[in-house]
Amino acid sequence: MHSFIRPNTHVALRLPSGVLKVLEIIPNTTINIGKFGTFPANLLLGRPYYLTYEVYDKDDGKSEPELRVVSAAELHAEALGSDHVAPAETKAESAESGAVAEFDIVGENGEIIMRSNRMTVDDPSRQTLSMDEIEELKKAGTGSGKEIIARLMASHLAIDEKTSFSLAKYTLRKSRKYLKRFTALPMDIGILTAHITEKEAYKIMELREETIGLICSWANIHCADVSRIMMAEDGISQIGGGRWLVVDDTGGLVTAALAEKMGLLYDSEEEEEDENEEEDEDEVQEEKDEVTLEGESLPQFAALEEAERKPSQPTNGISKTAVTSKPIDPSNPVLRPRKPPRPHIAQMSAHTNTLTVLHTNNQPNLSSLKYFSFDPGAPSPTHPLYTHLKSVSWLQLIYPTEDPSYIEPESLSEETLAAMKSSKRGNYYKKRRRWERTARVVDETRRGGYDGLVVASVMDPKTIMKELVPLVRGGGRIVVYHPNAEPLVELCDLYSKERRTAFTERQLELAQNQSSKVKLEAEEEDGNGLWDEYDDEDFPVNPTLLLAPTLQTSRARHWQVLPGRTHPMMTSHGGAEGYLFTATRVLPAEGRVEARGRFRGKKRKIGTGSAAVST
Amino acid sequence: MAPTTLPSPFLDPGAYSASNSLGIIQLRRDHLIPAVLSSSADSEYAEGKVENTRFGSFPHSTLLDQPWGTQILASIVDTGSRGKSKKRKRGTNDEGEEAPATDLKVEHVRKDTVKTAAAASSGFAHLVPPSPETWTLCLPHRTQVVYTPDYSYILQRLRVRPGDHIIEAGAGSGSFTHAAVRAVFNGYTSPGAFADGAETASAENGTVASKKRRRKHGGVYSYEFHAPRAKQLGIEIEEHGLGPVVTITNRDVYEDGFCLQNKDEEQIAPNADAIFLDLPAPWLALKHLTRSPPSPAVLKAVAAASDPSTPNAESSVSTSPQPPKPFHTALNPKGPVRICTFSPCIEQVTKTVSAMRSLGWIEIDMVEIMAKRLEVRRERIGLQEEGLRGANPSAATVFEAVQRLRDVEGRAKVFHGLQKEKQSEIMKRAEAKKRGEKVPAAKGEEGEGKNTVKVDGLPPSKHDRLERAKRDLEKRELFKEGRLVHRTEPELKTHTSYLVFAVLPREWTKEDEERAAKKWK
Repeated sequence: MHSFIRPNTHVALRLPSGVLKVLEIIPNTTINIGKFGTFPANLLLGRPYYLTYEVYDKDDGKSEPELRVVSAAELHAEALGSDHVAPAETKAESAESGAVAEFDIVGENGEIIMRSNRMTVDDPSRQTLSMDEIEELKKAGTGSGKEIIARLMASHLAIDEKTSFSLAKYTLRKSRKYLKRFTALPMDIGILTAHITEKEAYKIMELREETIGLICSWANIHCADVSRIMMAEDGISQIGGGRWLVVDDTGGLVTAALAEKMGLLYDSEEEEEDENEEEDEDEVQEEKDEVTLEGESLPQFAALEEAERKPSQPTNGISKTAVTSKPIDPSNPVLRPRKPPRPHIAQMSAHTNTLTVLHTNNQPNLSSLKYFSFDPGAPSPTHPLYTHLKSVSWLQLIYPTEDPSYIEPESLSEETLAAMKSSKRGNYYKKRRRWERTARVVDETRRGGYDGLVVASVMDPKTIMKELVPLVRGGGRIVVYHPNAEPLVELCDLYSKERRTAFTERQLELAQNQSSKVKLEAEEEDGNGLWDEYDDEDFPVNPTLLLAPTLQTSRARHWQVLPGRTHPMMTSHGGAEGYLFTATRVLPAEGRVEARGRFRGKKRKIGTGSAAVST
Repeated sequence: MAPTTLPSPFLDPGAYSASNSLGIIQLRRDHLIPAVLSSSADSEYAEGKVENTRFGSFPHSTLLDQPWGTQILASIVDTGSRGKSKKRKRGTNDEGEEAPATDLKVEHVRKDTVKTAAAASSGFAHLVPPSPETWTLCLPHRTQVVYTPDYSYILQRLRVRPGDHIIEAGAGSGSFTHAAVRAVFNGYTSPGAFADGAETASAENGTVASKKRRRKHGGVYSYEFHAPRAKQLGIEIEEHGLGPVVTITNRDVYEDGFCLQNKDEEQIAPNADAIFLDLPAPWLALKHLTRSPPSPAVLKAVAAASDPSTPNAESSVSTSPQPPKPFHTALNPKGPVRICTFSPCIEQVTKTVSAMRSLGWIEIDMVEIMAKRLEVRRERIGLQEEGLRGANPSAATVFEAVQRLRDVEGRAKVFHGLQKEKQSEIMKRAEAKKRGEKVPAAKGEEGEGKNTVKVDGLPPSKHDRLERAKRDLEKRELFKEGRLVHRTEPELKTHTSYLVFAVLPREWTKEDEERAAKKWK
């Protein structure tokens, strides 16, 4: 996927200081990485990722800026050198001088095991180069900064007194400051997370890579392109098919991470080019079409949608016939002759392998997706997310009729349309298509049957759970992320064993009560957990719907691995620990269920559902 | 065991549990039982196949064709008499000539009468679809298992995406295998490609390879040194319907590397995008994971970096003068390759990292994953908890403590007062006796009894308190009482392994550079 740098893609350049600079590589432009240099973007295009380059510009006596690839051996020279070469040198040195006094730890045969820092003098005057001289050197700046470092080392009075460890540290510090190097890294979830964490960790709710990994695993996210479409008993709603619900307040980072795991994050075009850049043009075209059409080859569903919506025109792109056999319908006025005849692919029309994002504002905030060539405002139809990413606002989900885009616009007859001005006609179709899209997505979402729910939201999790857990299929996974433990602790408590027991007891009481029986039945039919209001305070969510709620956290500890100097990093990011609530959606059995097992004391049957599933 | 039909329940479980497909019976959070559901009556039980657990017996007939996630009630299964029928069967076999007929008849009768299971009065479990997470919790342990926090991070860091090829060496118990399958899966290859089974070194067949692939299908290439483990994993993978995605090879990767051969004896590389090495000496396998044949100098450096006292390292270097056969890389030549090694000891890490540096791997990073689960509970403290289970019956507040002390003092006072009264009564009586007056002894006792009833202000005794606590319990709503707290679960994994990550960039030659420069002038 990331074999080489393509034009107009985002790339992360890691500078010697460790800072990630994220930029779009546009052909024939100049890239400026501050004090580390300036070079044309074309020098990066077509080159592979993960290479480290050294910048040579005018200061280095070059007429044109140049990039030199730094080999891996060169990058590791220090670590490898100190491993193999350094010991031999010190031995020779000690034999020569014979002076043992300056070393503290000496082997029996006079071999120096380790230098001590007893003689170290902490004094800035030991660096004989003055500020001005260093500035001069920087201006002259030759050899991509290596010269400055060499001069600095040479003019340090006590470089010999340094222990090998402090020397290594000194060199590293100077290289980070003066070396004109950078590494070109591909834009992916890990790099993006690191980049945002540097300055605006709050924007991604302080997510870390290990947490993202956990989220994806526990949500059972995977590519479900070839999954079957299973109908529920009502014959309309779909069960499974690799569809996940997402509530994302991380600016799209979670959505992007899920999409990556589902094979939706990267433009299909890119992938094809990977295979062979000199590929025939038309073959690429063909493949592209195949990829974009794969969501469409679902006749039964298409028929169903058609029956439901009765689209007046084949332009909604769902109908298989419209897409495959008659891409150019002469009677279709929407296709303007100027444009190449291209089948219209409806946005958000895929049936399997989809993400449905619930959003609080009119539009979802998925700005992070721009780093992956997907602009949520003006999505490109070739991007897999165009068909596979659906968005529904909370209003549309809960009170769809209050949302104007859900209300069907007036349907006009063929004749009226033919008499219309083309711009008006275009508007008419645009409106219709928007309504079709909204209605299709909203209806699908409300019918539920999702494979899982991923929540990373600043909203109170219990209110989200109340609405969305019922939309998840039995056996589906629920994952809720929060930077702090408390909201999730509360959530765990709402799904606790004791509360579940109390809830079922109350339900049974209700069932026995004749007056409330009708209500209960209504609730069961609804399947939406809208039980009686007076229970709301104690049971804001239906605790019987989730099995084995678990709270967990994970943190990666980074280490420095150098010969003889291996230890955990001295500092790292603090901030939110980041917690994960996971559970499985289940379908509780009706009526009284007695638990068994864990007999304590004389009482055999303690209560309903009390012992069998621990929380 | 007949291989399950595609699609795999791991990847596409469908709406209902199906026969010959894996289902997981979840009893408690960490107590799960894997079961390949079967509708056949060929079992010792009248109800067909049965899963017996601490929480009841679950005949497969009650588990089949159920929506996933259903709460299943336990059934009444006669677990006592199954031994008898088995014995009888064996007996008929021993009898000789007549045996086959009766045996058949027995089978026949049994097949016809799969008893419909009757629900037991208690016990239940949940039927959940299998996933790498649930499988990790219930798989048969053969080696150390790579748990979810580790494998999720590894797959995230390795950037494994659908369509990628991943090498996994040291398949072990197969927990990582299942997670890797989920990560790379994007469709099944044509069934013909794996005609000779997953256990042999098979790869995509010629037609797929020669035909320009429309789309790279994801694949897991799993290597296991231990033959029985490799075989067992193969059986599991087939059972789980993952055969087309996983290629299991029983091989010593230190010696023989990772390249696979098809039937024409021609080298087919796994074409790997990512590598996961769960081996005791990953540095010995690294020399087989290069883009071009490593030079002897590099090999020596690798061997020197790893412990020279390891005889294996010495021999492998000395016995590897370039083999006559052409070099094949096991890596995808067109993209960066990411690796992760999984070693419990720091010494292994040092050697691995040195070898990686010598072989040109970059972005080397070592991390350790520290994961923990938290338990959430309500901590009930207070005098009202006296005698109740799962709570701390000491005073919750200073006020409560003071009240209790007052009560105790009050009781003591009353008690002492009574004692005094009693004493004086006795004295009085004794004096009266002395004086010769007649006082019935019973009266005094009666009075005493009256007294205890009379004292209204008397604080409750311990017995009274316990009684009251029990009585109150009926009315209390324990699920929302007490303080909500969370803390680390008692069992904590403090160290699993060190993870070393590295990247091997695509090879970049002068010619490549010239071509790129020409294209982007």
